[in-house]
Amino acid sequence: MSLRIYAIAYLIFLYAPIALLPVFAFNDATIIAFPLSGFTTNWFGELWTNTSLHTAVKNSVFIAVMTAILSTLLGVCAARAGAMAHFPLKAGIMGFIMLPLVLPEIIVAVSLLVVVVQIFDLGLSNWTIISAHVLICTPFCIAILNGAFQNLDPSMEEAAMDLGETRFGAFRSVTLPLVMPGIISSMLIAFTISLDEFIIAFFLSGVSPTMPVYIWGLLRFPASLPVVMALGTILVALSILLLTIAEILRRRGMARAGVADKGGFL
Amino acid sequence: MLKRRNISESQRSALLISPPFLYALVLMAFPLAAIFLFSFWTQDFMDVDTTFTLDNYREIFEKPIYGALLQRSLFVSTCVTVVTVILAFPVAYFVSFHVRAERKSLWLFLITIPFWTSYLIRVFLWKVILGFNGVINTGLINIGLIEEPLTFILYNVNAVIITLAHAFAPFAILPIFVALEKIDRSLLEAAQDLGESKMMTFFRVTLPLAMPGVVAAVLIVFIPTIGDYVTPELMGGAGGKLIANMIQTQFLALNNAPLGAALAIVAMVCVTAIALVFVLLNRRWLRGRS
Amino acid sequence: MTALITLEGVNKHYGDYHALRDIDLTIDEGEFFSLLGPSGCGKTTLLRTIAGFESVSSGLVAISGKDMAGVPANLRPTNMVFQSYAIFPHLSVADNVAFGLRKRTDLNKQAKEALVADALDMVGLDGYGKRAAHALSGGQRQRVALARALILKPKVLLLDEPLSALDKKMREQMQVELMRLQRHVGITFILVTHDQEEALVMSDRIAVMFEGHIGQLADAETLYRRPRNRQVAEFIGKMNFLEADVTAMGDTISLQVQGLGGLQITPEQSPEVSEAGQAVVGIRPETLGILFEGETTDRKLAEGVVDEVVYYGDMTYYDVRITGVERPLNIAMKNIIGQPVLDVGAPAQVIWDERSLVLLK
Repeated sequence: MSLRIYAIAYLIFLYAPIALLPVFAFNDATIIAFPLSGFTTNWFGELWTNTSLHTAVKNSVFIAVMTAILSTLLGVCAARAGAMAHFPLKAGIMGFIMLPLVLPEIIVAVSLLVVVVQIFDLGLSNWTIISAHVLICTPFCIAILNGAFQNLDPSMEEAAMDLGETRFGAFRSVTLPLVMPGIISSMLIAFTISLDEFIIAFFLSGVSPTMPVYIWGLLRFPASLPVVMALGTILVALSILLLTIAEILRRRGMARAGVADKGGFL
Repeated sequence: MLKRRNISESQRSALLISPPFLYALVLMAFPLAAIFLFSFWTQDFMDVDTTFTLDNYREIFEKPIYGALLQRSLFVSTCVTVVTVILAFPVAYFVSFHVRAERKSLWLFLITIPFWTSYLIRVFLWKVILGFNGVINTGLINIGLIEEPLTFILYNVNAVIITLAHAFAPFAILPIFVALEKIDRSLLEAAQDLGESKMMTFFRVTLPLAMPGVVAAVLIVFIPTIGDYVTPELMGGAGGKLIANMIQTQFLALNNAPLGAALAIVAMVCVTAIALVFVLLNRRWLRGRS
Repeated sequence: MTALITLEGVNKHYGDYHALRDIDLTIDEGEFFSLLGPSGCGKTTLLRTIAGFESVSSGLVAISGKDMAGVPANLRPTNMVFQSYAIFPHLSVADNVAFGLRKRTDLNKQAKEALVADALDMVGLDGYGKRAAHALSGGQRQRVALARALILKPKVLLLDEPLSALDKKMREQMQVELMRLQRHVGITFILVTHDQEEALVMSDRIAVMFEGHIGQLADAETLYRRPRNRQVAEFIGKMNFLEADVTAMGDTISLQVQGLGGLQITPEQSPEVSEAGQAVVGIRPETLGILFEGETTDRKLAEGVVDEVVYYGDMTYYDVRITGVERPLNIAMKNIIGQPVLDVGAPAQVIWDERSLVLLK
């Protein structure tokens, strides 16, 4: 039916640019254009030897890991509080915490730049980027973890306490195992967002750039474009892998709790 | 029954919410207040003069370039929003109404994956696709459909719109999907049972009920696109730069943080105003129907 | 019977809301005790107060003579079966049942396994140990919840509306099961329910609660035959009400009852009316009868017309409008061979006896 055709065409439109990455990453030409020349793995080889790239990658990974851990922690607090009893201004506070979702990143970047550099006269470093990334990732983590926490029967922790556990022990032995897939999903997604994030990193980078900022630098030089394609191929493949894992875990988490899958982490 | 639940549980949840809340307060509310403050100051190279002044705002209103940029930015954001939401709606509808329950999350997963990959790289790929020697042009020339490369698809506003529509597509699909899922299917059956055709059922029942999702989609696309800086920088050419690029320039290249801050505030105010107007009009439309 | 649980002057406030008002009761060892009442009456709150999930605003909660103030739920000699059963879905049935034994260092693995097997056997789930807990039916989950609680040999088992999520047949089956289990284990059971039939069937004593206080605390028969006030009378079973005028109080009470005329009752039949004036008389449907053709009786009769007939298989319920009374009386008749089922509109003679009346405000 025509809607299905439309939907599939839409998917093709979504994936078309990404599909080009491997095509030109293995293409033996310095210009990204048709017709294709031969097959080569030179560009990947160049990635391997580029040390400034390696530094940038290490930077990005460090930032992404810290972001993932911190935003998941905050997300767990918020999601758990969200699933519990009402407190004054609950809706307002939850909405406020989710606000970064609709804030343009440039506003976040610029306002933090002002505070850190102009007001407090601190240097920019990886930690400035981490704090900004945690701000924008936490709402995503909350969205994922909300699903996990809301599927829980609130009596279960009470039952564990009734059977002898302390409050924290009940959380650890009953709630945590059940939300663990959600926690891992949340960490993977925060990691992915942070790894790819450009605007904030660009504004708040200290001495050493993150990987997207480094790529931005490369884009100025036409000769380096195929290398960017190769790097892009790897990044996209990595992102897809991480997200697939996150999705599998999310589904498994729901199966464990015996809940029907209603579609995505919504 | 919920009212009777523990007061101490309420206290505990208030305690739990404080770390994320305080974090957002310190890292979002406070910096936003800071740039608001900054917009009333002036900067000369590295020194900041903290005497209160409206000079920055005056400059923005007087020099035509800022107004023009803002207008262009709002125009682009609106176009992107309209295009994206309209294209997204049928997809969301399809997944909600025409896909089996077990397959829905697979479709959503497929739709959102491109979003999770590097934004920078995706924008760059569009540049590659739309460029003078890019994929579309060389491809079409190769096949023989055109002789000269198309020039209207890059380094202007059109390119920016296409790229952003692609980037924000999943942002639009998801809220609409959620709203459509919430619609009680028996309402639609009841409408048809009472004599409405499928088309009329859609316009009189489905669409109004899906409106909250559409509104959310509009806001989630419109507001962040004002702040997009990468796409206009890479694709916009001279005529395609947007307000975010100017903000970036003021902050980094020109060392004029107060002016940049004022621009940011003006942009935010415009966007918020438009968003509010949209939401209110929408409510009025919905109320008028019932 | 020794008192196991004592509540004295217990009050509970949630902000402005007064959930429990001056509750005084004692529950004995080995008793099957029920807290019965409509939604919002405070019965679950009271149960949770005994369990330790809610603290009291004032008053004493004591178990085995020890004041439980400040004692958290995990340290009390009580265990609870929750309304949703709260089975841990990520554990097997055996791991669920053994959950409370985790801290017991005095038991080795084999001892624990033996206890689990015994507990499962006791609730009729032997062999289910290895199953995944989330794949069980409602009734099975409840049994797991019971086993999980009873394995810890608590002094009191608390049950929060355990049967409300089951279908009718399952419910009836579990009622019998729970009674059998309680006799077998011999400990005190405290059951919370809004279903008065359930409470009447299973309990030794019942506390009927309304809006935070206890309306009446008695065994099933007393509650049914001698409700202390109108609220209790209306809540337990079905009750017909007739306007009455008390003309004399003394060793016997004289009344004029709407539709039945003048009659006399004993003071025991009047739990709350102590002076002459307007009152109401309550009559249970099964204490009324219909005189069929060919039968005789030495009891009193009232003329009436059949208004509604509801056939239940073993019983037929008639609504009969007697002369002088606008609202029909509900009469429960056992279907006996030889007695036809009357039609709507047919005349009927209602048999009644003043000994089955109860006088209320």
